[in-house]
Amino acid sequence: MKIKHLSIIAKKEFKGLFNEKTILLAVLLQLFIALFSSFLMVGLTSMYDPSSLSKYSHSRYSIAYAGNESPLLTSLEASSDFHVYKMDLSTAVAALKERKLAAVIYVPDTLPDAPDPIKITLYTLQNDLQAAIVDVKLKDIFLKYEQGLREIRADRLKEELIGIQIPKSGGGGDFYEFVYGLLIPLLVFMPAIIASALVIDLITEEYQHETLETLISTPITFVEMVWGKVIACELLVPIQAGAWLVLLMINGIAIQNSGLILLQVIVTSLILILLGTLTALHYRERTAAQFIFSTALVVVILFALALPSNPLNLLTRLAVGTAAGEQWLVLGITLAIVILLSYITQRYAEKIGKSHHTG
Amino acid sequence: MSTLTDIATIARWEVKKSFSMMSRDVLPLSIILFVLLMIVTGFTAQTGLHLQDGMYQVGVDDPQIAQLLAGDARFSVYLLDAPILNANRNSFDLIIIQGIVYSSATDKANSAQKTLERDYSKYVNSIYNTENDLFAAYPLWIDTQSVKSELTFLATQSGQYISAAPRRIAPVPEGEIKTVPTPSPALAISPEDLRSELVQSNAKNTQISRYTEALSTSSSMGTFKTPAQLSPPLPFDSIILVFVFIFPLYFTSQFFMMSIMNERIERKGEILLSTPLRTSSIIIGKALPYFIGMVAICSGITVYIKASPVIILPLIPVIFFFLANALLIGMLSRSFKELSFISIFFSTVATSYLFFPSIFANVHVISLISPLTLIVLTIQGSAWTITDYLYSTSLFWLTGAVLFYIAARNFKDERLFSEKKLVSRMREFLSEILPQKYPFLSLFLLSGFAIPFVFMVQMMCLVLFFNLPMPYSLVFLLLFAALIEEIAKGVGIYTIYSRDPAFLSWKNLVMACAATAIGFLVGEKLLLFVTLAQISDSVFGSILFLSLGSLWLPLLLHFVCVLIVCCSLKIWGRKGFVPGLAIAMVVHCLYNLYFILGWIG
Repeated sequence: MKIKHLSIIAKKEFKGLFNEKTILLAVLLQLFIALFSSFLMVGLTSMYDPSSLSKYSHSRYSIAYAGNESPLLTSLEASSDFHVYKMDLSTAVAALKERKLAAVIYVPDTLPDAPDPIKITLYTLQNDLQAAIVDVKLKDIFLKYEQGLREIRADRLKEELIGIQIPKSGGGGDFYEFVYGLLIPLLVFMPAIIASALVIDLITEEYQHETLETLISTPITFVEMVWGKVIACELLVPIQAGAWLVLLMINGIAIQNSGLILLQVIVTSLILILLGTLTALHYRERTAAQFIFSTALVVVILFALALPSNPLNLLTRLAVGTAAGEQWLVLGITLAIVILLSYITQRYAEKIGKSHHTG
Repeated sequence: MSTLTDIATIARWEVKKSFSMMSRDVLPLSIILFVLLMIVTGFTAQTGLHLQDGMYQVGVDDPQIAQLLAGDARFSVYLLDAPILNANRNSFDLIIIQGIVYSSATDKANSAQKTLERDYSKYVNSIYNTENDLFAAYPLWIDTQSVKSELTFLATQSGQYISAAPRRIAPVPEGEIKTVPTPSPALAISPEDLRSELVQSNAKNTQISRYTEALSTSSSMGTFKTPAQLSPPLPFDSIILVFVFIFPLYFTSQFFMMSIMNERIERKGEILLSTPLRTSSIIIGKALPYFIGMVAICSGITVYIKASPVIILPLIPVIFFFLANALLIGMLSRSFKELSFISIFFSTVATSYLFFPSIFANVHVISLISPLTLIVLTIQGSAWTITDYLYSTSLFWLTGAVLFYIAARNFKDERLFSEKKLVSRMREFLSEILPQKYPFLSLFLLSGFAIPFVFMVQMMCLVLFFNLPMPYSLVFLLLFAALIEEIAKGVGIYTIYSRDPAFLSWKNLVMACAATAIGFLVGEKLLLFVTLAQISDSVFGSILFLSLGSLWLPLLLHFVCVLIVCCSLKIWGRKGFVPGLAIAMVVHCLYNLYFILGWIG
């Protein structure tokens, strides 16, 4: 195998990608998803943590209180989020319909230590973003009221709890888990999936466009052609994954160990690319190869996710900085799989190459 | 009648062909893979997904608490003595000493604390659920009633708050007051039912079931909730819908794409085209098996999750749209890698269009622009009307139909087997539907039929920018809406110009601009009247679609903007297109600012 031949093939594939401007599409796609996920974050944050948007935090919502006096009324009146009016239920609901109120609360005359629960009725507007925010703000006050009631009824409870006192959280961190535990591993790993689909395209194309014979009539052997294509696809992975990391950091998401993350992605992606190569060599036809490969991909990824300390989990832990020595063990196992697959690919390509050169 | 038999014949060929291609040990292997998939799914369901393991590091001095925390794989728990913990505070996200939690002020620590809160309340609930006196453990129940407001979309869209600023006197309703019956103080459900419901909902909060929950029917508790359950539904629920319904559709449309592509590579298409069959029958015949397959898959899923068959209705336009795009992509791309990238790009954009609005399914009317929302609503058991259906699917029907038409006109030798670049091929495709004999009529029709696409892209922008704070969302929307409209109007004339630069004499230029402007206006008004009245009356809508009121002003605007683009084309040639668009966009924005928002002067 000659390095020069490999680089000729890899260069040829890159040229093809640039000529067709497909690489541009890939970049565009990446930007689009980045834009989208950052907007997604803003939308979700504003929904779950209303005070994160200054626009909402300053507004006080008018709500109506109907029915009987209770400690709930006191805590509502003390809250800086609400302005409470004592109103008649029917009038209040009518005002709510005209958007003159944000919510109506009705409290019955059940005693705090009664055997029955206290059933409060909460009227809010249907299908409204801000009504959802009011719900979130009311929830805290209801929880406090519930805690008070529980203390009054405490002698009726039997079990002892393990006590943990959790201080009031400082806000923020709502989407930490979503970003680091889902978004980052998926986005950073996506280039590996794209590259493995690409290698199938590149190999089957030679068969279906009948350009294979011309190619192997040059000094380049069949095996070199296969490895050249693998290298071309593999080179795309760190470029794209690196672009993701940069985009995420521009979005204000701090990522630790980005070098190690890239290393993990590069090695793990080789498994997928080699699997794709083997499938493509076997079927030599895109529809069948892509179909079998994508089904196999789901199986492989699901299986990997079921294992503790899998490469995807490692990406998460590297990004948050809690990965310890076991990352090298995982890398070693991944490398062993890569070497095994490389050996199989080499032998298989040699076998097919022989039949092509003679036949 | 003979057309029908033609279609049937082609459809049969298509099925036979794909099966003969699949025979080469694809079927046995795919069966093996399918069995493996089942096994792996079972395995994963048992062990759980280990994606977020060990994210947080917690130091504890109490073995009981350590055991409690170890149940959540996200925590790496270290059982150490209090002095050691205190000395190494910074290497942990949280430390718990004598039952008191101390956290550092980072985002990660906050997130860890929130996870701990959830885990702890789950533990507390699991204890409370076994209490004999259920109402001592859960003394407070909230009956949530939602009230329909007549003003919903308009009010929030124009930036109004949910209610006027608080005043000293209680607000007085203007309309008539309907008597609301005093709610009964008793819960209508027996304690035992409540207990089993509580046990269930407490068990649900695991990683996987959080997603599958979206597919189960609503609980029997109805509107009753404990305070802890009072929060908007998780928006991630609709992700599962995307995977369950849209993913198979995307997968199947891949086969259609490949079938078209293969005909072009293997030149089998030539034989088909030389037969006396009509192109439309060929296309319908080839698409039919895939259409039936997709509907069958969706029905299968619907039966499997025991949902109402009504779900299929909003899916059909989506299938139609996917097939139209698959056909066009299969006809356009020159190589497999191009096919892959274009189809991935298309599916990402389409998926976001479908997915993003639907996460607001219970929160905001804007969610209705996605058919997926109708599915969410159906699964929840809420009803939707025919108007809702039209509103969310009409764009899919229209764009799908236009794309099919373009594909049908181009389904012939010289288009299918040419090797030109992507952009010039797209231009050729457009050029095909602009016959040289009737240039003005075709420009009129083209700009009219561009409207559904323009609306679709603008809807996408509306959804994207909706999340920004008010002034920014308007500014971005203003710029993008104008740009998109100008591109849609300019593209027809650009195509004609590249085909035949001599065509644009000054007289023809004015005529062409007029035809485009009128076509655009007519298409816009027609679609608005049919479907989009709800959005079009808000401030956002007025930027997107111009008001329904006067006609001559918008017409003049469209005309002037196209004229700008045309003139720069005529003067500077094809490289004048982009600067022309930029100027037209600015003019369009100024118009919007002046007439609609009244911001200038």
